[in-house]
Amino acid sequence: MIRGREQMGSSLLHIQDLSAWYDGERKVLSDLSMELREHEVVGLIGLNGAGKTTFIKVLSGLLDSFSTERAVFHGRSVGFRDSAFKMDRYTVFAEDASFQYFTFREYLAYAAAAYRRKDLDRGVVDALVRGFHFEDHTDVLLKDLSTGNRKKVFLITAFAVRPGLLLLDEPVNGLDFQSTEFLYQQIAGYRAYGTVLFSSHILESITMTCDRVHVLEEGSIRQTFEGDQINAAKIREVLRYEKDV
Amino acid sequence: MRRMFKIFTKKLFGVRYEGLKKALVIDLIVFWGLHTAGYRVAVSPSIVYLMASTFSAGVVWRALASEDNAADLRNLFMLPFAERTFVFSYVSAMGAYTLLTKTAGLLAVVFAVSAWSGGADGFRLVCAVICAVNAVLVTACAFTARKRRGICMLWGGTVIAAVFWLWDRAVFVPIILASILLAVLILSRTNAYAFYRRESGKVRHTGNGGRVSIGRYLLRYLASHKNYMMNTVVLWGVACVLPVFFRQIYAQDPAQAGGLSVLPVGFAILSVNTPVGILLSCDPALERAVRFLPGQGKAFCVPYTLFIFLCNMSADLIFLGSFGLQLGGVTALSVLLAAAFSLFGAVGSVLMEWFFPIRGWKIENDLWHHPRKYVVPAAMLLLAGVCTV
Repeated sequence: MIRGREQMGSSLLHIQDLSAWYDGERKVLSDLSMELREHEVVGLIGLNGAGKTTFIKVLSGLLDSFSTERAVFHGRSVGFRDSAFKMDRYTVFAEDASFQYFTFREYLAYAAAAYRRKDLDRGVVDALVRGFHFEDHTDVLLKDLSTGNRKKVFLITAFAVRPGLLLLDEPVNGLDFQSTEFLYQQIAGYRAYGTVLFSSHILESITMTCDRVHVLEEGSIRQTFEGDQINAAKIREVLRYEKDV
Repeated sequence: MRRMFKIFTKKLFGVRYEGLKKALVIDLIVFWGLHTAGYRVAVSPSIVYLMASTFSAGVVWRALASEDNAADLRNLFMLPFAERTFVFSYVSAMGAYTLLTKTAGLLAVVFAVSAWSGGADGFRLVCAVICAVNAVLVTACAFTARKRRGICMLWGGTVIAAVFWLWDRAVFVPIILASILLAVLILSRTNAYAFYRRESGKVRHTGNGGRVSIGRYLLRYLASHKNYMMNTVVLWGVACVLPVFFRQIYAQDPAQAGGLSVLPVGFAILSVNTPVGILLSCDPALERAVRFLPGQGKAFCVPYTLFIFLCNMSADLIFLGSFGLQLGGVTALSVLLAAAFSLFGAVGSVLMEWFFPIRGWKIENDLWHHPRKYVVPAAMLLLAGVCTV
């Protein structure tokens, strides 16, 4: 496992007292505060319904029913739909059936153009394609790909586009063993380019890659583990007693 | 059967049947509004029966073939079920959805404006409903009998022939009832899995070197949905025959001949190309992607507008060609007017999709008949009125 605490820099994104809801009554996120530093990998773990996906949706600008005291990105106040913020973050969703009539190569070109990265390093893309064992599928329409291969399309795009903030919602779901191992390497190695925030149910994915782990419970951070505290047994213990009074 | 029927109807109408209540209230308001307006037209009963049949058949086919429906069936097939109960519950629910939320609206409009004598209305309504029920059942049979499409087409053709030539004979209702009985008999022996459309499994490779174009994406999208393509082709057909109706107007009011007055009305009618105007609403994953990727206002919406413009313009040019052949008077100004209306329709459709996407729909059919689709054509009709003045 590679930890990169020595690379960690100043604050990338600071969010204070974020609350979000879907139906106006029950809050899915409740006064959640979090700071993401530059060049770190942060994990979100929690039971189903803890608010992990909702948090990523808010950061992706897809949910407008939320309130926050403060959201600061690179030292400046930010809205999650601001174009400057959008240009510096990319999200891989747990399930994604978008752009079904593009091939991988077309989607990558489209996303690269959207992020104004027309000079994508072919060597990096080829290495990602090889690492995820995706060579035979680059010219297949996304609708004809299996769930796991479709996931690889968005993961490869994310690591190729290299935004400052990478949001991954359950990135391991649907991947085979070899691709999962490769994904762990990519997440851990991403510190060189930016920050990764990812949610997962798989403890191994968290313990192998993260500098910091937040345990979410009912929309708030129940506990945080850092550095050497990140230990599967300790996190398992916290999760076991979630929702217990 | 009742429990299974409820499972399907709750999916189609909503948990508290709110979709059904809303549709019936709207039908009632439309009927009352049009009826009290006092506008009446002479409509042949055979046309009403034909409309009820073809419209219901089209709606139920789309409902049976929709992708979200296939996913629901996949989940239900996991559970043990009684074959016949499943088939009849499923077809009854689809039929109820089609007749009560879609065909009822059509009949409300037709019966509100038809100039029939009071006594004939009840009988014609019963006949129209019987025709619609028959269309639903025959379509369900045709959907499951993929290897016997020829026989099904012959069956449908016989029904249409009966509607055209025997609608005023005593034998008409017994023929339709016999068709219903035959459909029920066939469905009682139908395998439930025949309603499930498997994915093709065909893997399509394309070798364009990763050059990206939203236009190509949209063309592939259209080509992959045969019913969308069919809708566009039908619009081209409407574009061909529309001048025939305008010729009748000219015959009644020769003062309008040779002018541009009715052309914008034609352009407005031809802008109702529903499937290309609901791309984001019917594909929530694409909408999410377009909203979270940066710069999509330009990167996605501009090519999308251009695509709808070309679809509208193709129909408008066919209309102008047909208009010129039948009535003459098509000039360069007419073509410019067509381009302006096509562009207006395209921009309006994309703005509606961007700012007011349709959400909370139960099945794709709901999108095809959502009132929002008439907003842009209605605005274009208003514009047509302004142009005429």
